[in-house]
Amino acid sequence: MNNFSVTLQHTEFKYDDSYGLTKENFSKYLSKLQHKERDDNELLSTEYAYFRYNIYEQCHKLAIARPDGIEFMQWLKANNWRIVICTYRDIRKASYYTKDWLNTNKIPWDHVFSAQNKVVFCKLWGIQHLIDDDKFNVLYGGLYGIKVYYPIMAQHEGILQTGARGFNTFHEVKQWMPE
Amino acid sequence: MDARVKLLRDFYSTMQQGKIKLEINSHGFVFLEQLLSDGITLEYGQLASYGLTHKYKLLNVPEDSINRLLHDHIQKTCNVCCYFNEAANNTFCFNLDNNYKNNNTVLIPEMQFSVNSLIEYFEELGIKPLVIASGRGYHVWCRVDDAIENQLLSDFMMRMVAKTMAALHENDHDYRKVKFNMYPNHKNNNVLSLRLFGSEHIKNKVFSHVYTNLGLLDEDESWDFFADYLVNKTLPQENFMKAHDRLVAEFSVGDKAV
Repeated sequence: MNNFSVTLQHTEFKYDDSYGLTKENFSKYLSKLQHKERDDNELLSTEYAYFRYNIYEQCHKLAIARPDGIEFMQWLKANNWRIVICTYRDIRKASYYTKDWLNTNKIPWDHVFSAQNKVVFCKLWGIQHLIDDDKFNVLYGGLYGIKVYYPIMAQHEGILQTGARGFNTFHEVKQWMPE
Repeated sequence: MDARVKLLRDFYSTMQQGKIKLEINSHGFVFLEQLLSDGITLEYGQLASYGLTHKYKLLNVPEDSINRLLHDHIQKTCNVCCYFNEAANNTFCFNLDNNYKNNNTVLIPEMQFSVNSLIEYFEELGIKPLVIASGRGYHVWCRVDDAIENQLLSDFMMRMVAKTMAALHENDHDYRKVKFNMYPNHKNNNVLSLRLFGSEHIKNKVFSHVYTNLGLLDEDESWDFFADYLVNKTLPQENFMKAHDRLVAEFSVGDKAV
């Protein structure tokens, strides 16, 4: 629905005091984040975790919505679908700016939820259709009766046939949705 | 009204009105529709990372509904969490959490050292805190007989946390293993809620036992202690201000609001 990954990779984040970091650590952490390196720290709340949240928040706000995605979501609403926005974000802090972003981009929604396992969430709530690019959901959604549709990206190369359907534009998804 | 519901309402009387977070296993659109009656709105929902637990941040919750949910809270069929007032509060709380990613309901030595240090610093100032086992550590509460402006509470709490972290460090403990959250906090008053006394931790199902120098009290003793604390240990505002002034004079941390 948005270009979060591109935003993370290509935004020029400028160092300032508000990060509470030395300039060296700022550069080190930013590189770690942009190179998608694993965070092996055994602790939960750390300097790096706080920095990561800060950068992600900026990316979430800056990310641009796909025009075909907006049109598709408006089509869903016009056809009486219930729209649940399900995110991995720390929704306690992210709910305000996530809703702002949706509203600014005229993306309709009924509820905003967060879940670390979206397949389990959909199963528990009886949600049959999931649009998501996460490989885990693409691989396992079908096993639990969830119809997963994903925008085809480099990360999906070589993925096994799982019943999930890849698409290039949201117009393709429209035709797969039941009447 | 159930006597214990009244106790909770009295104890947490300055929390934000009509705004709560509900932790419960119930889920699904039929349940949600029932929950969102009487004008209640959902800010967001959350599937917790363990079990079937769902968390719902609810707005515009009428008094009757809050009382009903508090009754369920006491019956341990859900947890009610509240948000601190944005301007002034008659309670404040240190939330000490085990900061490990995994296995974080274990009581680590740094946690025990921290809570005991914090209690000691309170007692040096003539204050008896109410300490409650929270599941991942402790909630260290204090209640004042009138609301205190949040900035004054923050000035006080920041110094207490700084003293505790320094003591951890001086005693060869890694202070990063304990996460200290302070409530109220101007950054988080609308973001982070705190579970009220009298229920079970959603993850490990342990009751919110009161902790004293004799150890953890059982459930009934904890309720008795809580009731007695409300009546007999609530701090006169004047005493809080004396403790605040003493601590601020002792421990300068600059002028910047935290």
